Amino acid sequence: MLSFEHICKTFNPGTPDAATLFSDFNLTVDKGEFVSVIGSNGSGKTTMLNLLCGSLMPDSGRILFDGTDITRQSEYRRAARIGRVFQDPKVGTCGSLTILENMALADNKKRPFGLTPAVSRGRLDYYRSLLEQCGMGLEDRLNAKVGALSGGQRQALALVIANMTDIDLLILDEHTAALDPKSADTVMQLTDHFVKSSKITTLMVTHNLRFAVEYGTRLLMMHEGKCIVDIRGEEKQKANVDDLLNIFYEISIEVGN
Amino acid sequence: MSLILSALDVVLQDGFMYAVLAMGYYLSYTILDFPDLTVEGTVVTGGVVFGLLARAGVNPWLAMVVAFLVGFLCGTLTGVLHVRLGIRPLLCGILVSTLLISVNLVVTVVGMGGNFAGDGALSTVDLGRSVPTVLRTYPARLLPTDFYGFNLRKLVTFFVIALVFKLILDFYLKTKSGLLLRATGDNAQYVTMLAKDQRFYKTLGLAIGNGYAAVCGALIAQSRGNANQGMGVGMIVIGLASLIIGLSLFGRVRFMKPTTMVILGSVIYQGCLGIATLLGVPSAYNKAIMAVLFTLALVFSDRLAKKNGGKKNAVVRTHL
Repeated sequence: MLSFEHICKTFNPGTPDAATLFSDFNLTVDKGEFVSVIGSNGSGKTTMLNLLCGSLMPDSGRILFDGTDITRQSEYRRAARIGRVFQDPKVGTCGSLTILENMALADNKKRPFGLTPAVSRGRLDYYRSLLEQCGMGLEDRLNAKVGALSGGQRQALALVIANMTDIDLLILDEHTAALDPKSADTVMQLTDHFVKSSKITTLMVTHNLRFAVEYGTRLLMMHEGKCIVDIRGEEKQKANVDDLLNIFYEISIEVGN
Repeated sequence: MSLILSALDVVLQDGFMYAVLAMGYYLSYTILDFPDLTVEGTVVTGGVVFGLLARAGVNPWLAMVVAFLVGFLCGTLTGVLHVRLGIRPLLCGILVSTLLISVNLVVTVVGMGGNFAGDGALSTVDLGRSVPTVLRTYPARLLPTDFYGFNLRKLVTFFVIALVFKLILDFYLKTKSGLLLRATGDNAQYVTMLAKDQRFYKTLGLAIGNGYAAVCGALIAQSRGNANQGMGVGMIVIGLASLIIGLSLFGRVRFMKPTTMVILGSVIYQGCLGIATLLGVPSAYNKAIMAVLFTLALVFSDRLAKKNGGKKNAVVRTHL
């Protein structure tokens, strides 16, 4: 379904600040997997997502998506098949537009954006039914500006929007990190609900070890551009937060922190 | 009394005329957050293109449409410089408007019978009595030019043109393409995630904005009876000041469309200039008054924004 092959990436090449993050990074994700990715800051989690989505280009190596080489494809073209929710709730939605306008735009993804009216009244019930799943009362506030929503509400909306189109891959980039514990739980449960009902292949980067353990079918721990833990199935079910924390500390000692 | 009435007449005419420019600015500046300096050149281009076509006997309404399209191309150039070559917004505008100084001059001279070296003829496009303008053809001809001291023909024609451009913009911003353009200014990443190229929409917004500026140039030429190389000077200030006055004075009126606010802002701005004229300030001081008014508008909108806790208008200062 998705594979990184021999990816190399150096930041600021040719300068004293040059930092090689990936040297021969390989990863394969199967269709329908829900992968949680954890790792310390600078371990390459977000860079991996950026390479996958096209916000960054690798120095060498290639990225295959359903058998097609997408390594050099522009970010917006890849986005046709990818839904992405960011750490910052402001990035996944448009604050100056209403909930309705945001959803109308997302509803039209993959279709031409021409000179016909953007909002069609006939779709309102569909939008409401999607928002009801969030359980936040957003369905009654279709005409509210998204900028007026709380972070949790906004992130839930971003999640709904990312899932509105028929996509093949869902990318969650620390999407609960900026939320309070309760909102984070709500958004995480909602995420699980969406992923399970659509069986969509999902990559979730998180700093929340509990989420990584409780949710998903596979768990990756990254360190210095390599996957040092990769467990799935029964092994994944046995994993617990304490074990993962221990591995974290071991790594930190090695690095000298 | 008649002095005041005739001043009011001019204020309204000019207000509606410059409102077209300010609405273009609403698109590039407020929506796309792009301070577009191209208009100083595009206004002249619009006036020159219109003037030469009208002199050649082209229907003035059609000539206005062509002026719009030429302005659209100028804006596209600014957009391409920005999104393809990565040049900063302010510089893109300066580059294209500088380029247009030469282009406008050569086009004018050649159109008036000179040569491509840029001499051999006047650098002004004269719209003498025999040249058809929208004011001298139907349907505007049905209206009287002197109605109790008001130039009703010019007033109504310019009002209708401003209204039409307002309605077109209102309609466009509600279409799929228009909504995506609004999203581009707010959050370009969102547009990318919708699998659309945000660079295209940025360019489109600048193109439409400059199309509006060119139409304003065509109106100025018809109002004055000529299009010359100097008519672009001060256009940025007029457009931006009208926009900011309109949005900050009426920003809290709930059911008023931003385009309506901009038209009102333009009339108010011209009103301030009109009052200065009435008070006997010589016209040589006009640009100085414009600069002062603009400064006041900036400070005023900043204060308002702070009072409301918003940041939208505070953005104005960081750009300029």
